[in-house]
Amino acid sequence: MVSERFASRWDTLAFVACVGLALMARALPEPAQEGVSSGVRRTLLAPFLFVEQQTGRLRAAYAQADGFLAERDSAALRAIGTAGLEEENRRLRELLELDRRLEAGAVAATVLRQVTPTRGLAVVLSKGARDGVRALAPVVTPNGLLGIVRSVDPRTSVAVLWTHPDFRVSAMTPDGSVFGLVQPRGGDPDMMTMLLVGVPYRDTIPPGTPLLTSGFGGVYPRGIPIGTVTRMLDEQAGLARTYIVRAAAHPGSASHVIVLIRRDPEVSAFGPESLP
Amino acid sequence: MNGRRDRLRRGAVLLLLVLLHFGLRPWLGTGRAAPDFLLLALLVYAIGTRPGKAAVAGFLIGLLSDAVRPVAFGSAMLAYTVVGYLAAWGKAVFFAENPVVAAAFFFGGVVVRDVLVLVWGGGLSGGGLAWQLVFWTPLQGLATAIVGLAVLYVFRRWLGVRLTG
Repeated sequence: MVSERFASRWDTLAFVACVGLALMARALPEPAQEGVSSGVRRTLLAPFLFVEQQTGRLRAAYAQADGFLAERDSAALRAIGTAGLEEENRRLRELLELDRRLEAGAVAATVLRQVTPTRGLAVVLSKGARDGVRALAPVVTPNGLLGIVRSVDPRTSVAVLWTHPDFRVSAMTPDGSVFGLVQPRGGDPDMMTMLLVGVPYRDTIPPGTPLLTSGFGGVYPRGIPIGTVTRMLDEQAGLARTYIVRAAAHPGSASHVIVLIRRDPEVSAFGPESLP
Repeated sequence: MNGRRDRLRRGAVLLLLVLLHFGLRPWLGTGRAAPDFLLLALLVYAIGTRPGKAAVAGFLIGLLSDAVRPVAFGSAMLAYTVVGYLAAWGKAVFFAENPVVAAAFFFGGVVVRDVLVLVWGGGLSGGGLAWQLVFWTPLQGLATAIVGLAVLYVFRRWLGVRLTG
């Protein structure tokens, strides 16, 4: 224990220097911030993130073992008929002269925990470039779309969740008749609500209608559940309607996620160059 | 020799807290109310050091926190720096080696950290911000205070702390 703890000139200088560095870090452009973060994750934090990843896996193994077995069994049953469907689909696409369907793979990742507030906007995932994760890869849970990968390190990656103000995804109703753009509503992520904007005024969506990704833009595959329409929020007369959507995937409760990756050799993952 | 041994002991406690942060938190569910072991390590360190060193330690812990919190980079550095400095400075004034005061010390650290992160970093607004500050932050502060008291009690000799009352 130190006997004298009141601040000396050195203490004040150290404090001011640290505050100054923090302010500078806050003002850095986003790529530079990501560079620093990535460097820290790859060096100082690497052993601790490894510990967290392993304990997360251990926890999942203990807590969800029965659930995993049940899901595996049901998935295996569904997979029995998949080969025939794939072949049938391939023939039909050939008949319709459609391009070959892009093949998607998946990487299971652990969400690394954070302690400070704003944790509901973005997360660090335990898988990175070495596992095949690329920027702009969709992140999903068994319930639906959770977010998108923003940046990738060799062993970890950063995913922006649907609660982040920058998040956007093109959505459609299951019958493909109505399209719109889904964006976060803001406020508390626990409210689990998004907005569906840009729905043509001539179209109406009844409450309870599920929304799926439309596949427009080439980033998200078609058909991933996004949420369910709860009610209409606003309408611009003669132009468009806005709906409130209850999200399918909870940003705070996901401990394990699936990162979708493309395995088509002609397309370099979900990088910007693959966008139309 | 004793000084070196004391430093090693205190370093071991701090390392244990850091390991608990990464090794135990995955077992604590979503973790919004789970104790913040990193902040606890900073506050325990601040108890026995000068404000300048505590500020530097806070800055480094903030850097680690910002690296795994990809929103509002720099806000955790600022928050932990301020918390570290204030904790080491305020310890000389307020810390009465009384369990209640020590608990308030840990609780206050969480509150100050969260307020600074939210004000400086943004990310939450309206009802979300209010809910965080009124419900989750006090809950996490309480959990951190309880664990902090346990750490002080278990390692009181290594940390050179006397808990009375």
